Amino acid sequence: MKKIIIIILISVFFVFNSIFGDEIPDRIVSLAPNVTEILFALDLGNRVIGVTNYCDYPEEARKIPKIGGMSNPSLEAVVSLKPDIVVMTTDGNQKKFEERLRSLKIKTYVFKSRRLSELPQGIRDMGSALGAREKASSFSSEMEKTISKFGRTLPSAKKTKILFIIWPEPLIVAGYGTAIDDVITLLGGENIASKTKVTYPKFSIEEIIRQAPDLIFIGKGHTNIKEASKGLLKKIGAVPAVKTGAVFFVSDNLYRLGPRVVKGIEEMAECLKQKY
Amino acid sequence: MSKTKILIFIAASVFIFSASVFLGPKAINPFALTGTDREIIFLIRLPRAIVAALMGIALGASGAVLQGILRNPLADPYILGISSGAALTAALGLLSGLFFFGNLSLPLTAFIGAFFASIIVGSFGWRRGGIWPDRLLLAGVGLSFLFYSVLMLLISISSDEGMRRALLWIFGDLSIADWSLIPYGFLLIIAGLYLSVSRAKALNALMLGDELAHSLGFSVNRERLLLFVSVALMTAASVSLGGTIGFIGLIIPHIVRFFIGADNRIVIPVSAICGGAFLCMADLIGKSVMAPIEIPSGIVTAIIGSPYFLYLLRRRDVLNL
Repeated sequence: MKKIIIIILISVFFVFNSIFGDEIPDRIVSLAPNVTEILFALDLGNRVIGVTNYCDYPEEARKIPKIGGMSNPSLEAVVSLKPDIVVMTTDGNQKKFEERLRSLKIKTYVFKSRRLSELPQGIRDMGSALGAREKASSFSSEMEKTISKFGRTLPSAKKTKILFIIWPEPLIVAGYGTAIDDVITLLGGENIASKTKVTYPKFSIEEIIRQAPDLIFIGKGHTNIKEASKGLLKKIGAVPAVKTGAVFFVSDNLYRLGPRVVKGIEEMAECLKQKY
Repeated sequence: MSKTKILIFIAASVFIFSASVFLGPKAINPFALTGTDREIIFLIRLPRAIVAALMGIALGASGAVLQGILRNPLADPYILGISSGAALTAALGLLSGLFFFGNLSLPLTAFIGAFFASIIVGSFGWRRGGIWPDRLLLAGVGLSFLFYSVLMLLISISSDEGMRRALLWIFGDLSIADWSLIPYGFLLIIAGLYLSVSRAKALNALMLGDELAHSLGFSVNRERLLLFVSVALMTAASVSLGGTIGFIGLIIPHIVRFFIGADNRIVIPVSAICGGAFLCMADLIGKSVMAPIEIPSGIVTAIIGSPYFLYLLRRRDVLNL
């Protein structure tokens, strides 16, 4: 008799749960570093059971089993983790991979934001799909506040010419369509590399001299970035940014369209304040 | 080959070299230089054009020499594994964040790799007191595969940014050209070029076969070793100046032979000049057509060079070498 009651209670619980409860996936695989960061920001980190080799933030993400790269994740590794859902992006993951997962009856969620302005809504949508609606909503509102605050307070009358260097030799810069480009525009600056319509172009040094940027950011991608930049900075020694000491070494907060962009915006705004 | 033909070659090369300095993403009038123009020319374009010329010279000449000593029309300077050795050490240097020598770190680590790769490939090719062409070629191919696969292994297991840059550099990048690189590159390449031109007669004999060369009075082993050293010097210097740039070492000597025959006393210097001019031109195109985005020169050389080579191949009946 006892057994039967327990069985009935358990089944009632499950029925209720599936009807009324938010369906929270227990086992999430992330196929992109920015997705991983968002998942952790939404307190879903403990449910993430698989990440890419590039997912190195936050620290806890490093310990999660790896499933390969972004463009070439291992299907076998993903399937063997038995995920409830696989979260991917349109920016770096292949659509084919999603189709293959679906054909194996594995649920997927595709994060579609690619620009700063789309990020808060993207996080909100992802939150509702993964059962973290409230956290996502408050997080996104906070982010929207920061974005609009800097959008209103900083823009100066004169457009400051800015260049964001990802790596000095060979010269790779942040171009059109990157979060970095969006933040430069947001802060009232003009990204001198955004006319190229390429996200991370191999850029001409001559063009830097000609455009004469007022401010240069150099992103941290490597421990010795300061040493590695010396040669380039010597060559462009005559542009206003270098002459006036407006060369800032900044973090990699803006490299990924994820929760850290807020910090990245604040960091850039701080540098702009120092300059003016 | 007449004197006038050589003069035309030289004049055309000088013209292309100047074009690569004064044309570019934006043309600069040499008679009305502004301050910015002067900076661009002296800090960026001139060192870059010189590096391009030096690399092209080294690749053209060493390609011609190598095809001769290996008696193989498919030989190019990179087949010996020198470039992959350089790429591997350069990548290791970038990965471990070695910056002892500031600006020169990348070229230096690359040169060290090229140097040791030449010694290794040379010692594998060595048997019974001399270098054997077939052994050298196979050792080079084997080593190339080994070095490249280790490099690819590093790239695939590393999420480090440095590896991606190493990869970019491997495909040839002249944008890091800098005055500080030029003197030592110049010395090594001129030394190699001098050595190879001075042994050109011996190379002519070697191409006829070892016995014939011997009966013509050449010490086969000694000549081959000297020629190998000249190739190693030039290739190592060129790789360390700007990575690997394909096509020139393989195809330029053939194009030159189409026009002037197979006498190495002329083929080597003319391949050097044409190689230099051709890389200057390719770099000019690469940095101009999509400016301010730059296309790596290694891609441009093959895209514009290969169709021309195929066209020549169709038209010619007799192939030298």
